[in-house]
Amino acid sequence: MADLRFFEIYRNHEYLWLLFNGALVSAALTVGGGLFGFLFAVLIAAVRHHRVPVLAHVATVYVELIRNTPLIVQMFFVAFGLPLLLGYQWPFWAHALLALTLNFSAYFAEILRAGLASIGSGQTEAADALGLPRWLCFLKITFPQAAAAMYPSLNSQFIFLFLTTGVISEISVTDLTWAGLFIDSRSFRSFEVFFTLTVIYVLMSLTFKTALAMLHDRLFKWRTVR
Amino acid sequence: MEDRPVKEIFTDVLGKPFGIVLFQLLEATQFTIYLSLIAFLGGGLIALAVTAARVSPLKPLNRAFAAYTWLFQSAPLLMLLFLFGLGVPRLFDIQVDPWYAAGIALTLYTSAYLAEVWRGALTAIPAGQHEGGKALGLTFVQIMVLIILPQAVRLAIAPTVGFMVQIIKGTSLAYIIGFHDLMAIGKRWANASVPGTQPFIIYPIMAMIYFSLCFPLSVWSRRLEKRLGSTSSKGRPTAAA
Repeated sequence: MADLRFFEIYRNHEYLWLLFNGALVSAALTVGGGLFGFLFAVLIAAVRHHRVPVLAHVATVYVELIRNTPLIVQMFFVAFGLPLLLGYQWPFWAHALLALTLNFSAYFAEILRAGLASIGSGQTEAADALGLPRWLCFLKITFPQAAAAMYPSLNSQFIFLFLTTGVISEISVTDLTWAGLFIDSRSFRSFEVFFTLTVIYVLMSLTFKTALAMLHDRLFKWRTVR
Repeated sequence: MEDRPVKEIFTDVLGKPFGIVLFQLLEATQFTIYLSLIAFLGGGLIALAVTAARVSPLKPLNRAFAAYTWLFQSAPLLMLLFLFGLGVPRLFDIQVDPWYAAGIALTLYTSAYLAEVWRGALTAIPAGQHEGGKALGLTFVQIMVLIILPQAVRLAIAPTVGFMVQIIKGTSLAYIIGFHDLMAIGKRWANASVPGTQPFIIYPIMAMIYFSLCFPLSVWSRRLEKRLGSTSSKGRPTAAA
């Protein structure tokens, strides 16, 4: 009945290599989606924060649409819908990256919006009084403060989004989940395989957490020196 | 048999393939809703117990359930689904109905997050409230029931409603272990070579259905948050997936 055979499965070096490769792909796509998503989110948040006509409303609708629909539906639309609609076909990893970027950007944008709103209007007024152009005020005053305030939220959101990226295996991207499904289909040891995957995901999210904490110390040194 | 006229109305109004597709999608949506409710009610009950254990003065109990929350918050939902839908059946050589597997996985997932939300709300209550209760000679249980809980519930309601959105979206993954919900039906139609069911038509429709399930809850939670006062950002998981 319940006999576990971890050792027997992973004596196969091919499987270990697949897991390693899958973990790298998962990490790369998450970091890529996180970076592009963040840049896009900054744009969205800026548009919403300064209430740019029309665009601000479009951005709001976009954020709500993404945040209230499952990632997997967005993923399938990007991977199977867009190619038919527009007549192009990138490699699947590019579609996955696009879907993750769109998904991440909406969540990040929501955090950034709240962060920007938390910066008192007195800051902008002071910048106005000093004759600072609006964009420079945003770049030099509003954004750094909001970034520092929002870093922990962005951080935990990023970890959470990393944990959801397993669905990209559904469009044949050879990520960690895909590697697990492949090994499962070969070895028929589902429990051991998915248990291993869970452990790897947990370890990876811990690694991300540590890395982000280290990044925090470097980015916001100015905050601790008073 | 009763839904036949409804189906005919759909086909009459929207035409042959499209009316049937939309009808089937909406019909499958009920399973998405049932599964969400199971996860929310089951997860809520477990979360109550976990929260109680986590704020209790018993250290070992506290640690054990801290590990529980940490584990099910760190494990991806997809992996929980695989473990309960594919792993456990293979391990014990038994058949597990997708209803049970999906229900258990989502319930565990929900319980960990809700427990964390609720504990966050409880710890957000200033220590002075505890001390005041002690000064009045109340027991731990009395302090909890009479002083802390009434205040914490206010803080917890909005994020709890917000988290329901995450559960509804989470159910979309259950099709992977053979659960027949909106996602399963939609994906089948998107793969079918029937004109009018191309992926770029089906997936936006599915997105709209999920959206109409989730968006009212999002709006409601935001309104509650404004009215009741929000929790601090610590201990409050952000919605994703």
